[in-house]
Amino acid sequence: MVSVINTVDTSHEDMIHDAQMDYYGTRLATCSSDRSVKIFDVRNGGQILIADLRGHEGPVWQVAWAHPMYGNVLASCSYDRKVIIWKEENGTWEKTHEHTGHDSSVNSVCWAPHDYGLILACGSSDGAISLLTYTGLGQWEVKKINNAHTIGCNAVSWAPAVVPGSLIDQPSGQKPNYIKKFASGGCDNLIKLWKEEEDGQWKEEQKLEAHSDWVRDVAWAPSIGLPTSTIASCSQDGRVFIWTCDDASGNAWSPKLLHKFNDVVWHVSWSITANILAVSGGDNKVEIFQNKKFKYTWRESLSYIWPKFLLETLFYNQKGSA
Amino acid sequence: MLGESDERGATVGRNWSPGVPASRMKLKEIDRTAMQAWSPAQNHPIYLATGTSAQQLDATFSTSASLEIFELDLSDPSLDMKSCATFSSSHRYHKLIWGPHKMDSKGDVSGVLIAGGENGNIILYDPSKIIAGDKEVVIAQNDKHTGPVRALDVNIFQTNLVASGANESEIYIWDLNNFATPMTPGAKTQPPEDISCIAWNRQVQHILASANPSGRATVWDLRKNEPIIKVSDHSNRMHCSGLAWHPDVATQMVLASEDDRLPVIQMWDLRFASSPLRVLENHARGILAIAWSMADPELLLSCGKDAKILCSNPNTGEVLYELPTNTQWCFDIQWCPRNPAVLSAASFDGRISVYSIMGGSADGLRQKQVDKLSSSFGNLDPFGTGQPLPPLQIPQQTAQHRIVLPLKKPPKWVRRPVGASFSFGGKLVTFASVRTQPQQGAEQQLQQHHVRISQVVTEEEFLSRSAQLQQVVQSQGFVSYCQKKIDASQTEFEKNVWSFLKVNFEDDSRGKYLELLGYRKEDLGKKIASALNKVDGPDVRIKEEKQESEFLPSAGGTFNISISGDIDGLITQALLTGNFESAVDLCLHDNRMADAIILAIAGGQELLAQTQKKYFAKSQSKITRLITAVVMKNWKEIVESCDLKNWREALAAVLTYAKPDEFSALCDLLGTRLESEGDSLLQTQACLCYICAGNVEKLVACWTKAQDGSNPLSLQDLIEKVVILRKAVQLTQAMDTNTVGVLLAEKMSQYANLLAAQGSIAAALAFLPDNTNQPNIVQLRDRLCRAQGNPAPGQQESPKIPYERQQLPKGRPGPVAGHTQMPRVPAQQYYPHVRIAPTVTTWSNKTPTALPSHPPAASPSDTQGENPPPPGFIMHGNVNPNVATAQLPTSPGHMHTQVPPYPQPQRSQNGWNDPPALNRVPKKKKMPENFMPPVPITSPIMNPLGDHQSQMLQQQPSAPVPLSSQASFPQPHLPGGQPFHGIQQPLSQPGMPPSFSKPNIEGAPGAPIGNTMQHVQSLPTEKITKKPIPDEHLILKTTFEDLIQRCLSSATDPQTKRKLDDASKRLEFLYDKLREQTLSPTIISGLHNIARSIETRNYSEGLTIHTHIVSTSNFSETSAFMPVLKVVLTQANKLGV
Repeated sequence: MVSVINTVDTSHEDMIHDAQMDYYGTRLATCSSDRSVKIFDVRNGGQILIADLRGHEGPVWQVAWAHPMYGNVLASCSYDRKVIIWKEENGTWEKTHEHTGHDSSVNSVCWAPHDYGLILACGSSDGAISLLTYTGLGQWEVKKINNAHTIGCNAVSWAPAVVPGSLIDQPSGQKPNYIKKFASGGCDNLIKLWKEEEDGQWKEEQKLEAHSDWVRDVAWAPSIGLPTSTIASCSQDGRVFIWTCDDASGNAWSPKLLHKFNDVVWHVSWSITANILAVSGGDNKVEIFQNKKFKYTWRESLSYIWPKFLLETLFYNQKGSA
Repeated sequence: MLGESDERGATVGRNWSPGVPASRMKLKEIDRTAMQAWSPAQNHPIYLATGTSAQQLDATFSTSASLEIFELDLSDPSLDMKSCATFSSSHRYHKLIWGPHKMDSKGDVSGVLIAGGENGNIILYDPSKIIAGDKEVVIAQNDKHTGPVRALDVNIFQTNLVASGANESEIYIWDLNNFATPMTPGAKTQPPEDISCIAWNRQVQHILASANPSGRATVWDLRKNEPIIKVSDHSNRMHCSGLAWHPDVATQMVLASEDDRLPVIQMWDLRFASSPLRVLENHARGILAIAWSMADPELLLSCGKDAKILCSNPNTGEVLYELPTNTQWCFDIQWCPRNPAVLSAASFDGRISVYSIMGGSADGLRQKQVDKLSSSFGNLDPFGTGQPLPPLQIPQQTAQHRIVLPLKKPPKWVRRPVGASFSFGGKLVTFASVRTQPQQGAEQQLQQHHVRISQVVTEEEFLSRSAQLQQVVQSQGFVSYCQKKIDASQTEFEKNVWSFLKVNFEDDSRGKYLELLGYRKEDLGKKIASALNKVDGPDVRIKEEKQESEFLPSAGGTFNISISGDIDGLITQALLTGNFESAVDLCLHDNRMADAIILAIAGGQELLAQTQKKYFAKSQSKITRLITAVVMKNWKEIVESCDLKNWREALAAVLTYAKPDEFSALCDLLGTRLESEGDSLLQTQACLCYICAGNVEKLVACWTKAQDGSNPLSLQDLIEKVVILRKAVQLTQAMDTNTVGVLLAEKMSQYANLLAAQGSIAAALAFLPDNTNQPNIVQLRDRLCRAQGNPAPGQQESPKIPYERQQLPKGRPGPVAGHTQMPRVPAQQYYPHVRIAPTVTTWSNKTPTALPSHPPAASPSDTQGENPPPPGFIMHGNVNPNVATAQLPTSPGHMHTQVPPYPQPQRSQNGWNDPPALNRVPKKKKMPENFMPPVPITSPIMNPLGDHQSQMLQQQPSAPVPLSSQASFPQPHLPGGQPFHGIQQPLSQPGMPPSFSKPNIEGAPGAPIGNTMQHVQSLPTEKITKKPIPDEHLILKTTFEDLIQRCLSSATDPQTKRKLDDASKRLEFLYDKLREQTLSPTIISGLHNIARSIETRNYSEGLTIHTHIVSTSNFSETSAFMPVLKVVLTQANKLGV
């Protein structure tokens, strides 16, 4: 059951390209072709404009909230080849950093799990992925993966912070030995998985091939304690795949076709409990799939299938209302 | 890419080498002078077919020709196109197109390649056969045309229809299914001209346009079979080299002119065919080819003799992009139908180049070689990385990093129009964009850009059950809830579990447990009676009794003491000499068991014990072990060694006899045995033992093991039981209930997460254990609180943050003006509070008499945020919200330790004096040292009362011990802490009210006592001298005490007795107040009125007066005693004393 509880009039002057709630679900950030980023307080069904952020010189594609432990921090990426990191200072939002290391449109930004520190992955149409790590004192370290995806990277999504092996083995008090990974999707029709090596270099770990056209979005499912890793991907080819990996090495990924749409699928988004997937596609359609077989304990069979269950379809008609 | 293997790995680190371009806009190159055709959009992978151009002008003047197919592999970073097949052809081509018709022939490649030749020929090739290397690749060929076939187009609606144009105004429509006989669109145009371009309309399938170098375009309607409109600007300088229909607007088309004098692109709308709608004058010299993107109608490619490749918006005329090319002209340009960012251009210098329109570096390898020496970096940080580049040691390897800006306007295909993202609390944020029709582009209608926030609920049943549970917890309607569950149970086991749970909320829970196990006291009584009847018959019994009684009086008479040599005589002698031991031995020897036992009792404890042992050794009946255990009080033995099939009996025995301090452990033990040793059926029964034991953690573990799935509903199943059991345990035992075990915490947080995911934030908050320091739970709590729109929990009192705050550049550490900012606090400070809860609970349960005299208004619970969580159940150890509130220490001296981290869950909902609340209090069992176990059979004759008292006196000094055993926690509220000096009048041991010891005699010695437990003050026994109660008020004390005594003597069940006992003690507060003369006259007179109504046994009137007093008086004045008074009155009314 999907019921609209709030309709926010953003007053954007052009197409909206992304809308993301913060960690608590109390603030909404939107971005648009009108080059602006807006932040609304949407608590208790309200819609109070908190900030109208200007700084991009082209359409803004995506926004991403950092974990609140780092304060109120928002990243945005734009066709203007820039990534801007905004921060609330004394109640007002301002630009705190501008990353100009890309040669083309930056299509996707995604913050790493907060356990790693403040790290932002950015995917660009120049084919590269850059990783910005905040090193303190206003400094950001940049690592760049060139030619990650020919013609362009459309999406980046971090793997949840999972410590390899048992949690019990971790010596207490010591920083857990996380293995940082993220997925990217691009115009080469590929999904690639990247892993940080011990020397801090990023290396391509896997290529996932199933799509026959641009991969529009990838979304690594939140961890809910299962050893299975799950990624959703969607493509220009209308297909949505659910990729799962059960083995400890993390290399045996197998795709399952969730659905084939007749139009491009732009975006996939997991619910926090990782059992619902929202798929938004051409024809202004949002479909919500629920995994009915989803189990909540690790005791369950590792290789769970995804019995497709279309929960709801939200149509936006020509006038923009459902 | 020609040896640059370091690009393949794509693992360039921070100090990436400046010689390697980040990306190129030029993707691939083929060294051919050729016509080109991309594979249709449906085809994957993407192929590019090239056919040797008829216009080739290369140095060799070679006449050989070929048709080749290349694969576009973008994952290969090299500039080379992968060649898939080459077919040596006898033709050279003026035009090459790849239509989707006859798709799915076989293999990866499909469709048909259609080539226009030099001599009026059209040839159809099968691309899959070319790739397969077949020799026979030509599907069909037709030479019907005159002259070179320069124009070809496939109808996108009916892909079997192909239009072709050649000299002499020839236009043919070919049906690929019937290739032999083409059709014509109508009469040839006059004068005869070459047809240079032909194009099907993109919206209306029967409309076709053709154009010729002389500058005229003709639009044909195939239904009418005639030209319907001719488009010309009459300048006579338009030499049409290109013609393209608007992808979206049926009436619009562009014409490109090859004439250097008029190097323009005209945009026409057939509705206004007198003059062009728009003229694009961006080329300096004649235009050789155009291509309109099917993916974005605002992108039109054109290449001309000025050696430029431009991308313009034909709807505005603006140049969006200029591809960097070399100085050569391009004669053909094509969009890749499948990958909208890719285009290919064929140039006269013998090369086909594949470009990306998304910008990037212009540095192809060749470019790089050209530029190798040109310049080095003028800027030490060209990429904005914030890191200066290392010194350039090999300057000749560097090249200028020319960045080609992407299109001025992003192409349509990167503009995401729709999105849906989940956020915390099962909320879904969605937006979508209205499709604007390009023709309305100018008059941009007022669009509203809305974002919708929706609640996604997938587990309705789960939510409704959860709400029910909450409601039950709130209303305390546990019994009826359990009953409902029993009624609805699908399985016997489920029914049992709920029955057991229900018993917890009823009086005489142990007795009820026994009934559930099949031991109904009444039934048993009947059975025994009938068993006896069978043996003797009632008459016999009565007769015997009569005989006995007849006999006994005569016992006072003389009798013969035999000292003969037989056993009797020997016994007599032994007795006469006081040698009980020998007498007993003799009796045993003679199998006179009863005599032996009787004598042993007289002979003292030691002898009795020995005798019992000898008896058990001798006796071998089936039930001996049970009797042994009963007599020796060795329940562990039963539990440990009984046959598991008899678990019911073992549990029954434990229920009947075990002392509270060992009861739980014994139930546990039995449960553990069942779980580990029993079969699967018995394993589940272990749950029942854990319910009896009140062991929530083990119940969770056992349940989790027994139940397979953990979907929301099965989690709900578990949580319902756990919550009810916890409530029960809190009500009855008040022991260890506040500590949430790891497993339970995990389940509860799982449950809370699930609730949150369904949007029930408040419920999630209510169920989340709050006395654990597990970081994930602490963080979830913080998240839930804030999601509710509240400030962070506990922000007012002491700032809490579940994680260490990290700082961004220039970020101030502390809270800034933003109200959502959280102050920085070391993480570890967050945790101590969670430890406090157990202490609070312990304290409040241990000292039922320590009612505070401060109004709860001072309670910190009232300082919480504006939106307290619903009065659901919170895993505080407190038994009852109402009582808990009343017992919260509120004296300022204790505030600091008592400050709850979050809105006080114990907050009273119904008022402090809610009667049921008080009823619960005495139910707490945690007084093991005062519990009177079934009196052992060791003393059936000795004075049982005396024995009791001696036991009690022995135990008395140890009374406070259990409190100090929790010394690991701060103990600000221990009774010893004297928070209520002067008010509290602990009942010292000698000063026990008469009611105190009375219940102890209640049960016959050796009889099971079960719930019958006595409260003994665990307060210091120091004697405090009290003032006397003023004479005029003494009547109150005597009246109330008298009433309690009357009630006690007529009350039958131990439960009530305990309540009354407790009430009697609590009334000391009243007496103290009377002594201090601190009560207001109104209350005093009200109390006297009550006393009078008691005198007249009009208890209901007394209750009315009571209510009046409570409602009109100050809470702090009366809270200590009024509730108990109500209990007494209610009981009196009920008992009718």
